[in-house]
Amino acid sequence: MSVHSEIEEKGKAALNQILEAQSLEQLDGFRVSVLGKKGSLSEALKQLGQVPAEERPKLGALANEWKARIEAAIESKKNDLESLKIEADLKKTRIDVTLPARKVHLGALHPITRTIRKISETLGRIGFDVTTGPEVETDFMNFEAVNIPKDHPARDMQDTFFLGPGVVLRSQTSPVQMRTMREEKWPIRILCPGAVYRCDSDATHSPMFHQIEGLWVDKKVSMADLKGVLDFFAKETFGSQVKIRLRPSYFPFVEPGAEVDVSCAICAGRNPHCQVCKGTGWLEILGAGMVHPRLFELAGYSPNEVSGFAFGMGVERIAMLLHDIPDLRLMFQGDERFLKQF
Amino acid sequence: MKISYNWLNEWVDLSSLKNPKDLADVLTARGLEVESIESQGKGLEKVVTGQIILKDKHPEADRLSLCKVNIGAGSEYLDIVCGAQNHKQGDMVAVAQVGANLPNGMKIEKGKIRGVVSMGMLCSEAELGFKKESDGILILPPKTPIGWKLADVLALDDTILEIKLTANRGDCLSHRGIAREVAAALGLQLKAPKVREFTGKGSPIRVELDAGEDAPQFFGAYLTGVKVGPSPGWLKTRLESIGQRSINNLVDVSNFLMFEYGFPVHIYDAGKIRGQVIRVRKSTSGETLPLLDGGEVTLTGEEILIADGERPIGLAGVMGGGNSEVSDETRNVFLECAEFNPTLVRRAAFRFSRRSEASLRFEKGIDPRGHREATARLMDLVVKLAGGEPAGEVMAELPSRSGFKAKTIETSADFLNSFLGTEIPREKMVSVFQSLGITVEQKSGGEQKGDAGFNLTPPTYRLDLTIKEDFAEELARTIGYDAIPATIPVLTGMPKSRKGDSKRHRLVTMDRIKDVLAGLGLREALTYAFQSEAWLSKFGMKSSVKILNPLSEEQGFLVPSLLPGILKAYQENERHHFGSEPLSVRLFEIRPVFSFSGEKIEAKGEAETGVVERFRLSLLLSGPRLDQALKSERGEIDFFDLKAVMESLFDQLKTRGIRTRAADTTILGSQSHLYHPGQTLQLTAGKDPVGFIGRIHPRLESELKLSRPVFWGEIELEPVIALTPEKEVSFKAWSGFPTIERDFALLVEETVASESLVQSALKSGKPIAKVVKIFDTYKGAHIPEGKISIGVRVIFSDESKSLEEKQVDQCAEQIVQKWKDEFQASLR
Repeated sequence: MSVHSEIEEKGKAALNQILEAQSLEQLDGFRVSVLGKKGSLSEALKQLGQVPAEERPKLGALANEWKARIEAAIESKKNDLESLKIEADLKKTRIDVTLPARKVHLGALHPITRTIRKISETLGRIGFDVTTGPEVETDFMNFEAVNIPKDHPARDMQDTFFLGPGVVLRSQTSPVQMRTMREEKWPIRILCPGAVYRCDSDATHSPMFHQIEGLWVDKKVSMADLKGVLDFFAKETFGSQVKIRLRPSYFPFVEPGAEVDVSCAICAGRNPHCQVCKGTGWLEILGAGMVHPRLFELAGYSPNEVSGFAFGMGVERIAMLLHDIPDLRLMFQGDERFLKQF
Repeated sequence: MKISYNWLNEWVDLSSLKNPKDLADVLTARGLEVESIESQGKGLEKVVTGQIILKDKHPEADRLSLCKVNIGAGSEYLDIVCGAQNHKQGDMVAVAQVGANLPNGMKIEKGKIRGVVSMGMLCSEAELGFKKESDGILILPPKTPIGWKLADVLALDDTILEIKLTANRGDCLSHRGIAREVAAALGLQLKAPKVREFTGKGSPIRVELDAGEDAPQFFGAYLTGVKVGPSPGWLKTRLESIGQRSINNLVDVSNFLMFEYGFPVHIYDAGKIRGQVIRVRKSTSGETLPLLDGGEVTLTGEEILIADGERPIGLAGVMGGGNSEVSDETRNVFLECAEFNPTLVRRAAFRFSRRSEASLRFEKGIDPRGHREATARLMDLVVKLAGGEPAGEVMAELPSRSGFKAKTIETSADFLNSFLGTEIPREKMVSVFQSLGITVEQKSGGEQKGDAGFNLTPPTYRLDLTIKEDFAEELARTIGYDAIPATIPVLTGMPKSRKGDSKRHRLVTMDRIKDVLAGLGLREALTYAFQSEAWLSKFGMKSSVKILNPLSEEQGFLVPSLLPGILKAYQENERHHFGSEPLSVRLFEIRPVFSFSGEKIEAKGEAETGVVERFRLSLLLSGPRLDQALKSERGEIDFFDLKAVMESLFDQLKTRGIRTRAADTTILGSQSHLYHPGQTLQLTAGKDPVGFIGRIHPRLESELKLSRPVFWGEIELEPVIALTPEKEVSFKAWSGFPTIERDFALLVEETVASESLVQSALKSGKPIAKVVKIFDTYKGAHIPEGKISIGVRVIFSDESKSLEEKQVDQCAEQIVQKWKDEFQASLR
């Protein structure tokens, strides 16, 4: 057989083998057996020395051409085989991605904490700062310092828990007002959130609940300022469409005093059967007023120099409105079904 | 307080108002909050009078009757099935027609009862809302007209307003008081009844005021020949409309006067007053007095008494005595209208649990100049309703009363406008004050507008007006709070700097702790600050702060620890848990605990209670580690999950210096029964214990019948806050040189705390052993009983150069030697 035909034959045979290769390993084997040092093509080329010199370049070119064709075929087959392998692997590693996630248990802040923060953040923007005080208070701080002397009929307004002579569980956050005024000089702009206690328990009363109290004392503070602050608070909390309404009322620590309603954000007074406002169009949310001069005297301020306003609200009440919570008692049961929703 | 629309209309002309709702709006806008408006005829719109023409037995039921009822010309007779037994043919009855919505909530529809059509219902008093319960149907008087609306026949045409009065408005505790407010609002005059002249002379019974300023005035009148009997219909209607029961004409008259004028008065049987004298005096301790409610009280020396010549006959302001009570035989009466110290009345009423409409009015203070008129009105009413002849009057007043003048307050239009933030013209202010009965004395300020100021003197029934701010309120509520503009106050001065403010740092840190814990998958719980003694004792705890007047035993003591509360919350979750999904509870709470270490809880000065409040953090974990993953992947929470929460928290807060150690029974001490002694860590700050975290003690777990292990802990927050820097974190560069690691497998006694191996290596490997980690533990095959193999990795590095192997080997050798010396460790 001529060298020429031997190259052709071996080349063709190699191409056939490559096309039939089943695996990357087999393919690699063919590469060695054809192109390797002792491979069939290399062996054929070794015979070049025996052919006449003038034929050598031609045969050399032919051999190189075959070599290139075989390499190209190997490369192409290799790609095919690799793709097939990946395809097979993909099938093997398929998972049901709709199975449940390995989700972590999500934490949550109590709606009371959230509400206190929301209120503090809102009013913080117009200058209020948060401060707190003790929950066990003296009778003096809880009552007398907020202008409710002994035997004052206003003591009927609050059923207080007693711990000893002159010691009570505070029935309101107002004592923080006096504590702050006695510690600091005016101007004062504080919010006092915290737990308070009254002997009362049903779906709308809890023996422990939370209040947040605001106090602003400065020169020339007016009742119009109080209205402005409350209007801002109500709009930020319940939506820019709500209005506030002040009704004259009485709290011994303010004069004039007011109860403050916000317009019902649900029905705006248009639904006589509204569950939230009971068809009145208004929701009572807080008590407020101008600080009684007696408090300034007790704090060591001159009532002729300063004036101020104060307001206080039940945090649970606001939280219940914000989150549609139907029963106050849910707040204190530690029930995960409740807590996880916030 | 209940106010009758019709009664009020006798005092002020309400015709300019469209309806009672209008009136309610006027009152509410003035600070007299109307809580409800109840129309008496409500629900009776389709109830008419009728006569039973025929009464037959129901064909199918013995207990039912079938009635033909005439409800007047123009209507056919109605066939009505009735279940009552007390009616007969010819009776006048109340017929609810089809479509009626009765006051008790019942809706009347056309329907078949046992196969017979019934076209309405014969009503009982309960169904009509007159009584809570009643037997049988209401039988009306025989002369009742047929076919009238029942409400018209019974004159149920009134509307009752329930007013929530604030504590300062004692002057409004009467129809007259409310009428004054309405008159001021509507610009009308009061329609006061004309009363007789009261001379204060001629009473055969004299009055001695022996209690000083505690009883500064007493007006009395003597009437002879009265006749005790039932009250006339109009008086009954008035009293019943506001929820008072009619008793007899004398009792009713004194009640009527109280609700009309606001003056509590008392009527004595004059025949029972001994010695022709009334002495108003303080009681003496131990003295007894029979009251007209049948009870007897033993006095303390603090009460004001009404006595006659021999004995006490009334507890002033609270209740009359049983020994001077008016009876059916009473002929001569003595009327009392007096003033008593509000505080003493209040205390006595509380002391003897006899708060009443009368004591309430005394407590709130009564117009000190109104007794003369009230007594005259009372005399007129007694004469009108019980007959009798006035036979003498008496009045006793101390100079504080005969010369009484309301305090005058000086203020100015400028002050009022600046305080309210308004621009109300001065003339408007004057007219507002005058409409409220306030005397305005204008100061001569010449032409100057505003500044001149005025002297304001309230009427004697408005003694709550004592400072200029009170008059600002009168002004504001008359022009309406709506008329006040809304402005945002000006910030003056520098806002307070809170840097370095420890109080602020506390609040911020506690907020951060909440955020971090929520981020770590815990849910914030809030539990009550009080628990029962029994519940606390389950945890071996005793509170040092007792609530003297708890709502119930369940809430008797302030908590010394948050654990009993959070465990109750856990149980609440367990209680309602059902189905096969695992229960997963991860809670935390931040609240104060309370303690007291002195003799007796008592206020010290104005601001000290001696009760200590310390904020703590409680944690509770239980359930699967991944509660929403597939069953095979869920795992179970164990101690190390809880430890991770604690460590992550301190890492996040950058809290430095909280140390931990394994807590055995000795270290647990008084908390031994709360925590598993082999699965608990103690936390300390310096030498001070800060808390424990660990598994609940299995004994407690079974005592509390918990369905699964609970991991919990409680940490004092003040030390944690103190060790948490307020300063922002400073960036630290890391070493750019390579680190070298060495792993060791140490065989030690299993009681050796792995953390002590770490600490030892950090110490003996200084300064290049930077990180020491336990990466594995192994027990089992090839490990002798009682021993454990612990894999420790030490990572060496230097900030300034590359370490040489030799140096590391040398250091490693030191470390290992220390382990051998300290822990008898051997390398595997």
